[in-house]
Amino acid sequence: MMDARILLGAALALPLGLLFACLSSWVRKRMSSWLAIAPFPAFACALFAVHDVPLSFGTRQLRLTFVQDTPGAILLGVAALLWITSGSYASACLRGQPNRRRFAVCWLMALTGCIGVFLAADMVSFYFMLALLTLGAGGLIIHDDTPEAWRAGAVYVGLALLAESLLLPAFIMLAMNASDGLLIRDAIAVLPTSPQRDLIIALLVAGFGIKAALVPLHFWMPLAYTAAPIPAAAVLSGAVVKASVLGLIRFLPLGTAMPDWGTALVAAGLLGAFYGVAIGITQKNPKTVLAYSSVSQMGFIVAVIGTGVSAGDDGVALAVAFYAGHHVMVKGALFLAVGVITAGGARPMWVLLPAAIVGLGLGGLPLTRGALAKLAVKGPFGDGFAGTLAMLSAAGTTLLMLYFLRRLAESAKRDESAPAALVRPWLLMALLSMAVPWMVYEALPIGTWQDALSPYALWELSWPMLLGGVFTLALWRWHDRLPRVPVGDIAAGISSTTRVTVACGRMLEQADRVLRLWPVAGASLLIVTILLGLAMLAGR
Amino acid sequence: MSNVAGLPHAATASATLVLAIIFPVVGILLSFVLGGRFVERIALILLPIGLAIASTIFVQVNFGYHSLEYIVGGWTPPLGIALRADGPSAAMMMAAAIVICAVGIFARADFRTAADGSETRASFAFWILLLAVWSAMNLIFVGADLFTLYVALELLTFAAVPLVSLDGRAETLQAALRYLIFAVLGAVFYLVGAALLYGAYGTLDIAILSERVRADPTTIVAGAVMTAGLLAKTALFPLHLWLPPAHAGAPAAASAVLSALVVKGSFFLLVRLWFDVMPGVLGMAGTQILGILGAAAILFGNVLALRQPRLKLLVAYSTVAQIGYLFLMFPLAFSATSSTLQSNSALTGGILQAISHATAKGAMFLSAGLMYSALGHDRISGLSGVGRLLPMTVVAFTLGGVSLIGLPPSGGFLAKWLLLGAAIASGQWWWAATMLAGGLLTSGYMFIVLSRAMTPAHKPLSLQATVPRYQQAAALALALCSLMLGLVAFGSFDVAQISRPTTASIGLQ
Amino acid sequence: MNAATWFGLCGAALGGVGLFGFSTNPDPLRKILAFNLVGSGAFLIFGVIAKRGAAVGLGGDPVPQALVITAIVVAFAATALAIALLLRLFEEAGEATLDSNNSDDIRRNEF
Repeated sequence: MMDARILLGAALALPLGLLFACLSSWVRKRMSSWLAIAPFPAFACALFAVHDVPLSFGTRQLRLTFVQDTPGAILLGVAALLWITSGSYASACLRGQPNRRRFAVCWLMALTGCIGVFLAADMVSFYFMLALLTLGAGGLIIHDDTPEAWRAGAVYVGLALLAESLLLPAFIMLAMNASDGLLIRDAIAVLPTSPQRDLIIALLVAGFGIKAALVPLHFWMPLAYTAAPIPAAAVLSGAVVKASVLGLIRFLPLGTAMPDWGTALVAAGLLGAFYGVAIGITQKNPKTVLAYSSVSQMGFIVAVIGTGVSAGDDGVALAVAFYAGHHVMVKGALFLAVGVITAGGARPMWVLLPAAIVGLGLGGLPLTRGALAKLAVKGPFGDGFAGTLAMLSAAGTTLLMLYFLRRLAESAKRDESAPAALVRPWLLMALLSMAVPWMVYEALPIGTWQDALSPYALWELSWPMLLGGVFTLALWRWHDRLPRVPVGDIAAGISSTTRVTVACGRMLEQADRVLRLWPVAGASLLIVTILLGLAMLAGR
Repeated sequence: MSNVAGLPHAATASATLVLAIIFPVVGILLSFVLGGRFVERIALILLPIGLAIASTIFVQVNFGYHSLEYIVGGWTPPLGIALRADGPSAAMMMAAAIVICAVGIFARADFRTAADGSETRASFAFWILLLAVWSAMNLIFVGADLFTLYVALELLTFAAVPLVSLDGRAETLQAALRYLIFAVLGAVFYLVGAALLYGAYGTLDIAILSERVRADPTTIVAGAVMTAGLLAKTALFPLHLWLPPAHAGAPAAASAVLSALVVKGSFFLLVRLWFDVMPGVLGMAGTQILGILGAAAILFGNVLALRQPRLKLLVAYSTVAQIGYLFLMFPLAFSATSSTLQSNSALTGGILQAISHATAKGAMFLSAGLMYSALGHDRISGLSGVGRLLPMTVVAFTLGGVSLIGLPPSGGFLAKWLLLGAAIASGQWWWAATMLAGGLLTSGYMFIVLSRAMTPAHKPLSLQATVPRYQQAAALALALCSLMLGLVAFGSFDVAQISRPTTASIGLQ
Repeated sequence: MNAATWFGLCGAALGGVGLFGFSTNPDPLRKILAFNLVGSGAFLIFGVIAKRGAAVGLGGDPVPQALVITAIVVAFAATALAIALLLRLFEEAGEATLDSNNSDDIRRNEF
């Protein structure tokens, strides 16, 4: 096996190198055809690199470190697969499009940032890669240059920068507490005993919560995923958003029991899980339905992390990584399915059937890897109220998935067949999303095959799905009675605050105009002098 | 500082300090004598020479770990004049040299002498004024007594004012006259303060003054008056009003020099005054007042920038806001226990912010100027399609903005990390929140400009003038300097801490 | 109160008058005169300091006198530059005013 450091270096170097190569216009012209190549070293790294061997460079004062741990490896591996298949899908659908050079550059930026976030072990490189990821993703969202795309991009980048502004003071405080290097692991080890613990955790939860689309700051997600082109939406919902999941796993001290924070996270997460389903069933566009399904699933993941936080159980990290990894592949596959069907759905069943298996697996269809994922995370919830809610959320997911399948079928373009270059990545992704989780499950100490196939487990999984099926029948009957909610629900309400802010801006401009009068400027000079003098006299 | 006993770092004599000031002046004199096409050539020859001198000083100060000194004429202070270069001086001189080199290369296209050798007034004036600004900035950075600094400050103003009105239009003449009148008033205030200090202590040499100064009423009045004058020249809120028309009306290369360097000159004087001469006099309330003015500048500048319809005015108001960041350094460097201003990581952050802003704003003004000359106007609403037309320029503008927002690995990020760390360590959360809010507002107007520039044009754009590649390359090079400035932390630098009584290394701890 | 104090107070008064004139007079020529007044006040203060700092037997401390001469030259150069700009502005615009005419509401005394 190759040295882990070489693999880590290659995983980062290839996308970064290709990004720099885009400075040459010759490369830029052809880059969009090579997008699928860039994530291969990352995939190799996820498979073969030995865990916990760091690659670091820099000086004593500033050391950037990259390392692979088990949750990171799971997410990196599945994300790399998604990036590869979406990359080949993107190369196919970008052929001949005007903006493909910009798309390729932003794609590489997002890819580098994504791999970097999964591998970063110190706070500076984490922050840097997160910023790179945000900028690249923003560029992908605005690809179509329509007003909706720009609005979605503005909301996405704005909220992402807000999240990063919340994370930066938290990182600085962690670095100050650790007082010995910038490694995340060291900083988190001293966090539970630090006096600013609650403030730091609040900032971390707020920052990562925004990026993980926790309600009520989730509204960027439906806007962004609806506006982005299909391959971009696939990687955004699949891989990019898992950066926040990994952030939560790495930065929250899962070894210490903090019941109040844990309960808050569980509550917020389950709220998001149900909210996503509730709004999702009112949407028409299948991409928007998938976006709300992502809101719901991310809420669920946050709730699982919350159980880990409140119990002080760091084995939860592995279960979360497994569940999130499964979600990466499923969401990616479903978005690609939407693309294939809207490109040409002459024989829809070829797409709908695998999509059904993939999607319902999210709800926990027995004998699929979704079942494994559900079982992995059922444990931490326990059997109480939270556990029941978790099971109900599975019902909600089933409901949403069946609704999605229906919307998907309706949006099929019946008279054409999709080109093979688009179908191949989609089928590959669907097969991988069915097969890979079994293989990962084998490699991890979560559970065994026999557990997954035991009758008790099958019952535990089936009753939420049956409940979901019942809800779906109800939905089909009364669908027309549902209210029409605009995409990005809360975002529509934000526009009223923009009027207030514009008025404030006008007031400030008026105040500036008053300050411009010569007498006022002369008086300001005098006043500043007197104020400074008085302040110094008082402090003498 | 070599005369003060007890400091760990001794100063070594070095004539390069004089060379840094004299070479541009020699260039000016030669330009007057030779005239014609030699003016541009002399300036271009002096660019690498000046850069080499600045690099020598920088290397000697930072890697030799001692400050440089030169006693003019062999007469020691307090009767004679000394020139001293410490950590902040060397860093700012390096930044000034880099910006002026980039601007000089850029301006070759705009201020070309005619083919037959006859000079135009604008090109003659521009190259001479550029050299004068350089010389004055170097004198500000190495001057070691308050009166030399007054002379340097006035020299800088006289060199900068005609740069505003180079194109001779009535609006720019008005802006130049307003700038001059307000700046000279500020300088006279500074002079009054210097007079009071001389009357109280009998010397104006910075090192000797720092030993003798006490917080009595004369010193306090002197400090207040000098600060007010310098604030008027630095255009801190609420005295910022001359800046937007002056910086927006000047030609692109001149705007870059004005925004990047000239306002930093009077700011550097404030740092010298409060950190070197009278660190114990300002007091908690005084630093908080400066901080409040800085925060108000950030708020006003950013909001007004969001509302501007023209690109150059937007960049000028962005300068107003970024100057506010520099003044946040004062409350953050104040140590409540010893009640003095400390030369700690907040000072390093402030100097880094000044340098990173200089390079970033230079790049942004150069890019804005290129867009103006290409499109014939700089209305933001009419910028559609410029991204396709001038890709390098838009990238330079974006990278400059990235540094202003404070994203890694730019110098702005490193400065923000240091300043935020100082804010959190001293428990002054409100300044941390101000800085973060300012970053968000900056990203707002950057997004507005970028979204316009990257949308495709409705009808094909016609180029009003061809934009040479080397101009775009100069702007991009300056922007890359700003972006890569954060990587300086990789080196084992003690940038702002040379010859300070307390040394701390620049890094992220 | 000795002569030095009287001159010092005169200097302060000049500064005040100058600042007042600067703020309230819209005409740029008067603003130029105003900052010259403030400058003259500063020079008077230098003179007072020279007198008060005089050693025994000497008329005055020579250092402030040297500073004043330099400052007078600088003020002279500033005034010359300002007048030159004013004359040029008058030639270009036909009127010597610092009010801007291209804003939507024209107000006196506005930058």
